[in-house]
Amino acid sequence: MQSANKLLKTIVRSSILPVAAQHGIKRDLFPLSRTLSLSLCLKQDNSCKPSEKLDLDEWKKVMKSGLQEEVSEPQELSSLAAARETLGMWRLAGKLVPENVSEEELKTFMECPSKSAKKKYLKHLYLKELYKKNDKRKMEEKRQKRLEAQEQTSKTDETKRSPFLCLWASTMDKAYNWRAAQSMIFGQPLVFDMSYEKEMSVREVANTVKQLVQSEGCNRRAVDPFHIHFCNFKDDSLYHREFLKHYKEAWGKLLITVTEQCYTEVFPKDKLIYLTADSPKVMKTFDHDKIYIVGSMVDRSIKTGVSLARAKRLGLETAALPLDKYLLWNTGAKNLTLDQMMHILLTLKDTADWKKALEFVPKRKYCGFVAKPVSELKKTLDLVNTLKLGKRREEIQKQFAKNYPKKYKLK
Amino acid sequence: LQPPEKPLESEEWNRLRENFRLPEIFEEVMLNSMIRCNSPIDVAKSLLTYVAKRNGDIAYSVLVKYLTLCVQQGQVSEICDVYEIMKGRFKILEIGAYNVLIKGLSNSDQWRMALTLLEEAKKIMIPSRTSYESCIKAASCHQEMKLAFELYHEMLAKNVVPTLDVLQSLFDFSRGMNGAELQKELFGILLYLRENQIYPHKTFMWSIKLWFESIPGRKWRGHLTSIKDSGQCPVCNHQLEDSNLTEEEYNNLSERIIRDVIHGTDTFRKTSPQEFEAFQTFVENRLPFDIVIDGLNVSHIKPKRMHCENLLDAINCLAKDNVRLLVLGRKHMMINSSNWKREIMKEMQTKADFFFAENISEDDAFLLYATLRSGKHCKFVTRDFLRDHKACLSDSLTRHLFRKWQRGHQIVLKAMFFSVFSQQPAFQYDCVVQTTGDTWHIPYKDVFEEKYSYQVPRKWLCIQQKL
Repeated sequence: MQSANKLLKTIVRSSILPVAAQHGIKRDLFPLSRTLSLSLCLKQDNSCKPSEKLDLDEWKKVMKSGLQEEVSEPQELSSLAAARETLGMWRLAGKLVPENVSEEELKTFMECPSKSAKKKYLKHLYLKELYKKNDKRKMEEKRQKRLEAQEQTSKTDETKRSPFLCLWASTMDKAYNWRAAQSMIFGQPLVFDMSYEKEMSVREVANTVKQLVQSEGCNRRAVDPFHIHFCNFKDDSLYHREFLKHYKEAWGKLLITVTEQCYTEVFPKDKLIYLTADSPKVMKTFDHDKIYIVGSMVDRSIKTGVSLARAKRLGLETAALPLDKYLLWNTGAKNLTLDQMMHILLTLKDTADWKKALEFVPKRKYCGFVAKPVSELKKTLDLVNTLKLGKRREEIQKQFAKNYPKKYKLK
Repeated sequence: LQPPEKPLESEEWNRLRENFRLPEIFEEVMLNSMIRCNSPIDVAKSLLTYVAKRNGDIAYSVLVKYLTLCVQQGQVSEICDVYEIMKGRFKILEIGAYNVLIKGLSNSDQWRMALTLLEEAKKIMIPSRTSYESCIKAASCHQEMKLAFELYHEMLAKNVVPTLDVLQSLFDFSRGMNGAELQKELFGILLYLRENQIYPHKTFMWSIKLWFESIPGRKWRGHLTSIKDSGQCPVCNHQLEDSNLTEEEYNNLSERIIRDVIHGTDTFRKTSPQEFEAFQTFVENRLPFDIVIDGLNVSHIKPKRMHCENLLDAINCLAKDNVRLLVLGRKHMMINSSNWKREIMKEMQTKADFFFAENISEDDAFLLYATLRSGKHCKFVTRDFLRDHKACLSDSLTRHLFRKWQRGHQIVLKAMFFSVFSQQPAFQYDCVVQTTGDTWHIPYKDVFEEKYSYQVPRKWLCIQQKL
């Protein structure tokens, strides 16, 4: 009898809940409706098999019951609103869709030519949003910590005198700017060729500018900075607009030379060397009398020969970094980002040490450094192979054989 | 995560959920594994009931997953119910849900509802290929061929590419049906195969054959055969179309090669204007050639031998009956080195014309130009598939022309023992679906045969009308 009672109770609870949820009332309704639903459930119980105490379609009732509240009359939406609505549904369906989408982004989304382009764009926005959120959270945490630390120090510390002045960021900036100003008079020029806007998509241009901003930053902090030239730079070009986004009013105060002229007009032709990964010539040493040109281009689709073609057209000397000579190349394209180039060139200029300079090539792209005796090289290679094990092993050996056919033999 | 075998009660679900590592996504993970294990629908229902009771609502993604399970098991009434609920609950649905719904309903008596759903889905986005295909199959299965073809044309108009499977089903369901309109449509599919150089596989070929033979009063007969090298069909003695392009196609192709492949966005990328001009005058002065050889490609055929020896062998092998040869190479070949001996180079230059491009230029572009400029009879020798050059052509029509021209004009040398070369000759006839009105010739591939895009099938279906 007791067990029967218990059973009834569960039934009552399970059948009453949707009704309760519908009205937003929970407990108060139970005593009133008990008798009524009891009889109803008993009937149901008889019709079902004894093992099945569940009403399997109950969820439908719940879902349908919620409807009456939010009956929405179907109305024609504007295309923008419709797109927003679609995004909302995609988000609900668990696709990578950002939470907040601006009007501008929504328009870009609608202009995407294909479904996959749309998906890609949304994923990009989603990740961007995610990173931003994470950064914000970290900043908040840091702030919290700083506050806590301040509280503690204010209690304990009274007079802690240091013999040195505290060097604030602005002081450092002054020192850097002084060096950069020096480089503008005496420094070795380094040219960024800004004539690739047509070859790139909007996003690639944005990436390029980001890399250029980073390069400029690391050049400014260097001991002996280059004198940076942005040649072929058109006012109000996409490059320009992106730069303004990054630098704001500081753009006018940068200690670099920006010119609409081509490098061939600014410098003597025989001193120019165009750096491009497609060049058949390999750079042996860094020449302090030459003027190196780097193409300001991000090519995600690996358009081979674009910058080589430019150098050919102008009849300039070209060179590629000796990546294959010094590094045991693993994967990835041989074209490096602009800031990596900057780091490498700065290091070469200061030390003329290829090993140090090529440290700035991303680690994932190479297995090891080759400027070692062959036996040692073999050891590292074996190590790499055992680490990667399995199928990759053969692949790497094949790659090695391809890259270094005669000089070294494995086993 | 193993789904339970029987429907569970709320408490039991609760226990499972709390033991799960990430309780927030418990339902989704559980439904996913139910889909994988094809669990009974009642189990999923009990889970939904549990979720509904706990939250008073069920998330969209969970509903879609449940829907997928229903579709997998063909639970039509359940699909309709879920659709009803979704429609009430959400203002619009996203394309993924529509795809699942259409797939589920098109296999049932409710297939007309799938069509209305397709209409709805179109308002949001272009429906997927599978949605179209399920609707087409549903319509043709119920003998509504007109509707099926309307959908098929709509699909093509939206640049959604149909699979061979759905094309095959159109043939299957039209079997034994009469009607000029229908016949025209199916011939249209065959012409679609022709235009896109698609080869049906064996089962599809059988469908085509059976359809032809089932047309009342027309007495089509199909035979499986293989075509002779001369291009003659052994069954009906019909001569297949030859592989040459028409005058217009030919001119079109040469123009496009010069524009897109050689010049592209920047002439300097592959060559330089001076060099190209020099090459043009060189070719014009010596026209026409019979065979153009990619010197560097050929010289690598046998890796153990000296490069120039390989090239000499190839030239000797091809230089018969006064054919005029042109060998394209790069300047570094002229420098005496371990691979390129000056005496042998001299000897070769007496047998063939040579053009040396800059070391950083691309000689393939020159190869194409010289061959096309020499005329339709001219062939070229390389093992390269020239895919990168084909990719430079901007539209698919020209790419197909290129492929066809390549099939008819490329000679591939293969290294045999010692100094013997075997020639894989260019095709005399065009390997594509073709008709003369009272005959059809359809190349097909065996399903299991591995086929690369550059290989063409050797087996044919010959269909002719017995009068």
